[in-house]
Parts: sequence; C-alpha cells; structure tokens
Amino acid sequence: MAAESTSNGAFAKQRAPGGGGFFQTAIGRFSARNWALIFLLLMIVIFSFGSSGFFDIVNFQNIIHLSTGAFLLAGAELLVVITGGIDLSIGYVYGLSSVLGAKVMQILYAGGAGGLGGAGTMPVWQVIALGCLVALAVSILPGLANGILVTRFKVPPFIATMGMWGICNGVTLFLADGFMPVMGAPSQINAIGNSYFLYIDPSKSISFFTKPSYITQANIRNVLRLVPNSLFLSLAVLLVLGFVLGRTRFGKHTYAIGGSMDAAIRSGINVNRHLVMIYVIASFVSGIAGLFNLFQTGIGNYTPSGANYELMAVAAVVIGGASLTGGKGRILGTAVGVLVLAVLENGLQIIGVSAFYRYIGVGVLLTIAVIIDRAFPDLF
Amino acid sequence: MQTETVEKKSALPELLGRNWIAIFIVLLVAFFSVVARSFFSFDTAQLIFFNGTEVFLLAIAELFVIITGGIDLSVGFVMGFATVVSSKLMVAFGNLGFSPLWSILAASAVTLLIGLVPGLVNGWLVAYLRVPAFIATFSMLGVTHGISELLTQGIPTKNLPALAGDIGNGSFMYIAPGGAISFFSRPQVARGQSVLAIVPNMVVLAFLFILLFAFILGKMKFGRHLYAIGGNIDAAIRSGINVKRDLIKAYVISSLFASLAGLSYVMKYITGKPDAGANMLLEAIAAVVIGGASMAGGSGTVGRTILGALVIAILETGLRIIGMQTFMTYILVGVILILAVIIDQVFPNRNR
Repeated sequence: MAAESTSNGAFAKQRAPGGGGFFQTAIGRFSARNWALIFLLLMIVIFSFGSSGFFDIVNFQNIIHLSTGAFLLAGAELLVVITGGIDLSIGYVYGLSSVLGAKVMQILYAGGAGGLGGAGTMPVWQVIALGCLVALAVSILPGLANGILVTRFKVPPFIATMGMWGICNGVTLFLADGFMPVMGAPSQINAIGNSYFLYIDPSKSISFFTKPSYITQANIRNVLRLVPNSLFLSLAVLLVLGFVLGRTRFGKHTYAIGGSMDAAIRSGINVNRHLVMIYVIASFVSGIAGLFNLFQTGIGNYTPSGANYELMAVAAVVIGGASLTGGKGRILGTAVGVLVLAVLENGLQIIGVSAFYRYIGVGVLLTIAVIIDRAFPDLF
Repeated sequence: MQTETVEKKSALPELLGRNWIAIFIVLLVAFFSVVARSFFSFDTAQLIFFNGTEVFLLAIAELFVIITGGIDLSVGFVMGFATVVSSKLMVAFGNLGFSPLWSILAASAVTLLIGLVPGLVNGWLVAYLRVPAFIATFSMLGVTHGISELLTQGIPTKNLPALAGDIGNGSFMYIAPGGAISFFSRPQVARGQSVLAIVPNMVVLAFLFILLFAFILGKMKFGRHLYAIGGNIDAAIRSGINVKRDLIKAYVISSLFASLAGLSYVMKYITGKPDAGANMLLEAIAAVVIGGASMAGGSGTVGRTILGALVIAILETGLRIIGMQTFMTYILVGVILILAVIIDQVFPNRNR
C-alpha cells in the first residue's frame, strides 16, 4: 500500500471535486472532520424514532456486547494502518485463538484425549487459565511472523499478512476438525463472558457480577442488568491502545513511521523492531478478541470464509478517519467507526429492513468516508 | 521496475531462481504421483483444470487490476453475484417459455453485461474520485454481497435447466472406443467401455477468454498502457495516456472475468449462491503474486499468472486425491504466497 501511495504522487494530489463554501466555515469544517460521529448520532435519532425497540438501554448494551470483537480487531488494525501497513490476518488469528482456547479447555476438562488424568481432576479455573494462556501465547506467533516477514524479508504487508491469513485459517480448520465449532469447554466461561457488572432487581436487591440467586434464567428480564463485562474489556483495550498511541513515545514513533518511513529511519527510530512490535501487538489483541468470543459463546468458533472480519476492521478504521497511506488515525475515531457499523446493522434489523442491506450500507459508507477524506485532506 | 544491470555470474542458480514456478510445478506433480499412483494421468490433468477453472479466471481478473498498481477485493463476491443473477435468469427465461439452450445463452449474455457494472463503478471510484482501490473494491464487495443475498434471500437458486449441468460437466470432444469422434455430447457405448473425454467445456470457454485477453494485454497498446500506469502513473499521465479511461477498463475486465467465473460455477454445480467465491480471493491474489507480479504494479503476465494459478489448482486437486483435508490447502497457499515474494526478491527482474 505504501508503494502505491508514493508512486501515485501527483495523481493523488489533484483534488477531488467538492468542498465549496459551507465547508470553509467553522461549523462546516467541524462536521466534515467529525462526519462519522454526526452520522452515528443521526442514525441513532432516526432508528429511535423509526422503531420502538431501538432506544432502549438493553439494546444499547446489546450493541456494545456484540461489538466487542469488532472493537478489538479494529483497534489492532488501526495500529498497523497508522504505520502505513495493513494486517489481513487478524480475522483468522481471531478464529485461531477462539478455537485453540476451546480445544485446550476441551481436552483438559474432559481429561481424556491428552491423557491428563480423569474428568474433573483439574480445577476448573486452572483449565480456563491454561486455555487462555495457550491461546494468547500462540496468537502472538502470527504477528511475530508478519513483523519479521515485513521487516527482514521486505515482503509487502499485504502479502505477508495474506499468507498468514491462509496459514492461520488452515491451522484453525485443522484444530476444529474441518468445519465444526469446538464444544466442551467448561460452562463457567459463559458466566465471565456474558455477565454484567451490576444487577438491579427494582426495590429488592442489587448485586455485582452475578445475578441474584433467586432469579432464574426465565425471568432474568425482570432484572435490570447494567454494564456488560465485555464493555470493560473493550474499554480497557481501547484505552490502553489510545494511551499508547497518543501519550507515549512508542505512539509518536508509530505515527512517524507511517508519516515518512525514511524520515523515521533518519531520526534514529529502530523502525524494524518497532514494526515487529506493532504486528505482534495487533495479533495479540486479535487473540484477546477471539478468546473473548469463546467466553461469550461458550464454543470455539472458526472464522467462516467470507466473514471478512479483517476487512470490516479496516472499514471501521477508515470510517474513523485513518488513512491507508499511514500516519493518521485515532482510537476514538476507530471506536466511532465500529459503532457506526454496529448501529447500522442493529438498527436495520430492528426496523425490520433485511439485514442484507447492511453489506450494501457498509460499502456505501466506506466510500463516502474516503471521498470526504479526499475532499478535505488537511482537516484530519 | 526495471534495472538493466543484469549480472552474468552463476548462471544456473539464476536460471533456477527465475523459473522456480516451473520447477515447483514439476516437483509438485512428482510428489503427488509418488504418493498416489493414480495421480499421474490424463484424467487427473483434466480434473485439475476443471476444478481450477474459477481460480484461473479470478486470477486473470485480479491480474489486470494488480498491473495498474491497484487491487480488486470484490472479485469473489462479483463472482457470487454473477452466479445468482445468471441462475435466477436461467430459471426466469425458462418460465417465460424459452428453450433450455436459449435461456442459458440469454441468461449468460445478460449476466456478462450486468457483470460489467461493478467494474465500471470500481473504476470510476478509483479513477475519478481517487478512492483507494482497496476501499472502492471492498465497498463493491459489500454491495454485490448484499444485492446477491437480497436476490436469493439466503436460499441457493435451484431448478436450473438440466442442460446447464450437461454443458458445465461435459467435454468438448469425445472419442469412443471404435475411434469415432463426437463433439459436446457423450456417445452411447456398451457398458464397461470407457469414452475418452477431452477438455471440459468450461475449461475451453475460460481459455478462449484468457487467450483473447492475453493478446490484448501483451500485444495491444491498451496493454502497454496498463503497465505504464502501474509502473509510474505520473509519467503515464504526462505521456498522454488516458489514464482514467484505461483504469476503468482494467476494473471492467476484472469484473468481466469474475462474472465468467460465476457462469462457470453455475454450469458446473447447477446452483447459484452469494458466497460461491467467498474464499477465493486469497487464491486469486496468490496466483498473481506467485506468477511474479508485484503488488506495486507494473509487472505480471497472463502466462505466468496461469502458472501461478496452476500451482494452486494442482495443490487443491492433488491434496484432495491423496486424502488431505482443505486446511492443508490454505496453509500451503499461504506459505507459497510468502515464499514467492521472497524468492522473487532474491532473483529480481524475472519478467518484464
């Protein structure tokens, strides 16, 4: 991608049409710069008035809960995109981590296949911890390979990560015995993945992290559940990434590499080591996302072909104001980008429009994002 | 992309390095022939091309765009879109009272026409609105996916004319045991005797188009312009090439080949579904890159891309014959893709 941008110099400099009077004013500039946010708010208003089920704390939490993977993957993708690269493997690292975690837990929990004692000999928390540990440790490897290929062997990021996409997909399918979700992990993981911070039974009780014991699964809807655990995870990861990008030297170097690789090298940044770290972090964060998917669903889900998680992450990043040529993009914008896509999907579903329109919606939005970005290159 | 300083030392490794795909194909065939005795046969060779038709077509689709320095992520779902449109049309024309042959022909023609639209839009976005190819074509991926899903409502198209399957799974020429030759239809022979079928119809169709466009890319001015655009777009503009028009043409050709792949799929499997080509993007791009093209643009030929696609096709069919599951294909395609780029860096200037 970087090569494309440099060779397209003069071609890219010719401005796209548009950007007349209104956009010269302060309000115009603000709305052009934050169009994704404005679009998000507009969508929320339209869906709220257009349907009865949308404007509801339960639904909003649902959107957040289901977007956990998207938040994390987009955060991971943003890091790489800022350096001017692209990581196409994250969607399959996500699936690999989910399936591997489930597989390890399945073997340890059942006690059979691995020859590790009889069922139930290992405490559940150990089973879960080991599963997480293995999944997270392994999810570093694709990033390490990507980074080394990109820096040492000068393989373009697009190709290196696409190769890794194939490899991770293959390994995942091997672990998942073809196309089967991996079952048999301890059911306690669901409690972690799907619980809320606060349960309030109006006028009766308040409890943290677990539902009041007298509430059954059938009448759980009578209890007000606030702040899903998944929100903590998304917030934690995005805040850390945002802090690293915005407030640390590591972040400054990341933007510097994306802005101008040569300048970054001349200014003494160890670009190769930095890039390897970026790819490793991206891969690791995708691994966390995949693992949490296991906690949410209770089964290890391989990434289906055509799921395009990585492309959706790129879409969110670009809608959030980052540029594929590098050097630009913020976590906050990326989070807005993810929400735009999530609210679009959820809202369409609720107002009863076929969910298939969301594919079209994503495409149209993405193109608009870039056209706006092209029309106001100096604003972002 | 060209550096004229060709060093004349160590000719043999240089020769091997530059022609590593050919050597790799030989090794691959040798490997499969040793593992599975039945592999080395004329039938398997035909099967490889038959199974790989879509990969060949999508690789050529991708090649035209990659030469210009772009990328087309939409090919897989444009293919799916074409399978849905053509299969729906075949059924619709059949219901209107067309004969099976005419409904297939009419549906195919209309599909190829409609199939130009995604390319037109992609090209327009890239050339006129300067949307990066990655974004424009990913958007088109979403749009074609959405439209195909809306058309099918999640149910693969059924009830196609049986003739479609006959054409898709038939061969161009049959030789009966007595030496009688017949075209397109399998002769009736006694039980136990085998008929030699030569070249599946879809492979013939695919390679007619591929040869035509190999000529256009290699011998015509338009082809040279594409390389010029990919090599240095500014220089191409200054030298008076109508870059915008040529870029649009490249994306339209890409979309046309993706639609052809869709038609081939419909004829072979007698069904149309939106995700027919969903997992073929990796293979299409891999074929082009294994064939020595650079993602930065300006290089790549039809011949070498076909070799690249052949590597993937042999792998897929070979692994299936020796009983390996699909996962090995993904892993090996990924590994070979990365190796291809590394080898090409060690032995640069392999083509053009």
